[in-house]
Amino acid sequence: MMKVLLADENSHRAGALARLLEADTSLDVILLNPHASLIEAVRCHAPDIVLVDISRADRDALDSVRALAASPLERPVALFVDEDDESLMEDAFAAGVCSYNILDTPVKNVKPLLRSAIALYHRFQKTNAELLAAKKTLFERETIDRAKLLFMKHECCKEEEAYRWFRKQAMQQSRKIIEIASDYLSNNAGKPVE
Amino acid sequence: MSAPCRIGLLQLADSAPVIVAHALDIFSKYGVKVEPIIVPSWANIADGLVWNGLDGAIMFAPLAIMTTLGQRGRAIALRPGLPLSREGNKIVLRGQQTEQEQWYSDGDKHRAFQLWAATLNRKPRLGVVHLYSTHYLILTRFLKSISICRDTKTEIVIMPPANMIEALATGEIDGFCAGPPWGTDAALKHLAFPVASSASIVPGHLEKMLFLKETWKTENPDATHRIYNAVCDAAKICTAPEQTAYITNLLSAPLTACGLDLPTEAVATVMPASPAVPDTMIFDTMPRSAASSFGWMIQDMQTEGWLTAPLPETLSNLNWL
Repeated sequence: MMKVLLADENSHRAGALARLLEADTSLDVILLNPHASLIEAVRCHAPDIVLVDISRADRDALDSVRALAASPLERPVALFVDEDDESLMEDAFAAGVCSYNILDTPVKNVKPLLRSAIALYHRFQKTNAELLAAKKTLFERETIDRAKLLFMKHECCKEEEAYRWFRKQAMQQSRKIIEIASDYLSNNAGKPVE
Repeated sequence: MSAPCRIGLLQLADSAPVIVAHALDIFSKYGVKVEPIIVPSWANIADGLVWNGLDGAIMFAPLAIMTTLGQRGRAIALRPGLPLSREGNKIVLRGQQTEQEQWYSDGDKHRAFQLWAATLNRKPRLGVVHLYSTHYLILTRFLKSISICRDTKTEIVIMPPANMIEALATGEIDGFCAGPPWGTDAALKHLAFPVASSASIVPGHLEKMLFLKETWKTENPDATHRIYNAVCDAAKICTAPEQTAYITNLLSAPLTACGLDLPTEAVATVMPASPAVPDTMIFDTMPRSAASSFGWMIQDMQTEGWLTAPLPETLSNLNWL
């Protein structure tokens, strides 16, 4: 049985990937506890494959064990690289997942797991992109409001007049109101010394 | 160039020149578009360059060399880039005033280290940011200079610089060697005391460089010198004493406001014009010979057994030697 450790602080995504992989009864899937150290978990569980969310900051520890004079791991792991399948590797990086393996893990055992992880991470990325778009809209609205307030303070005018000024600038310069508002804020605060 | 040049960097004060050039729109002045991408680990820097996630990066030369040679992941050709900073790293050990006074009052630093280590009831756990880092090589030189065997008398722990303060506070590590401002931050928070600066171990050493992928340079033949010129202009701003307040505010601003979310007081203390601490970081984009820039690192990397034949020949072909 092949032991697979999933290291992802996004518990929803880690759970979804675990359920997906557990369908294969030849796999023993272990979830890394949230906030647990990656290297400690690898030392404790001694997995054959570690699927890692690439945004984990402690990935550098796994990166280094192979050449560390006094390695904390009995079975050294290394970043999985398939030299013959560049698109798989680029897809994995773009999706945000990578694999560390025990040095003698066969490539054929790793690729299906990595492909499953890539597909799942892509699905989560899409949902995340929708969430980010909603946050961006909110942020833009707040930025425009802050710029209007600053303008009203500087020009001693009402909100309607401030809005008309930003809209006029945007139309004259063929730019978005958010860009005019951001420029106005950065030009009126936090500048370096001339 | 149509798409912006994606430059990867970590949350470190010596990433300032690229952050400043972006914040002040200096890149546009030179007709180039640059998107700084803040990544959580050095592994992400190297992987980003290899697997088409980044076009360039700020990093230290040992990691660039090992990435070039395919000694971590797939090989990707990188030639020496634009120097950005010199010195600035600090070695700190856990302790407060009592431990600090003991350390400074003992002229025999080998004995001082052993006395300090004896208070821990375990082999000292010392953090560095990556194995293939200037920090690891500098920490190794420091331990050697006080006749402490790194491999038998200490345990090296790899962790990101931004995690070291918490790791000290929770007892996960007992000291570290890291870039600015983390050593200073540990001292300001009374978690540790400084025992050496990288300037005292390898005076004038090259710290960070801006690397651009060779493939990107080929596709954008006139953009490299424009990006370098913009970053040189920004490095001059970073060095000017009158800009310290602006740079400090920028580096300590949240990530969402184009900042690096670094601790304000520590950043102000490590700025080049700061009178508060000796051996602050130096922003210096003046190119020097390969021998003076990389000679000591390559020598130490060979001592570690990382650069066995024929790897040095590949380095020579790419102007590292």
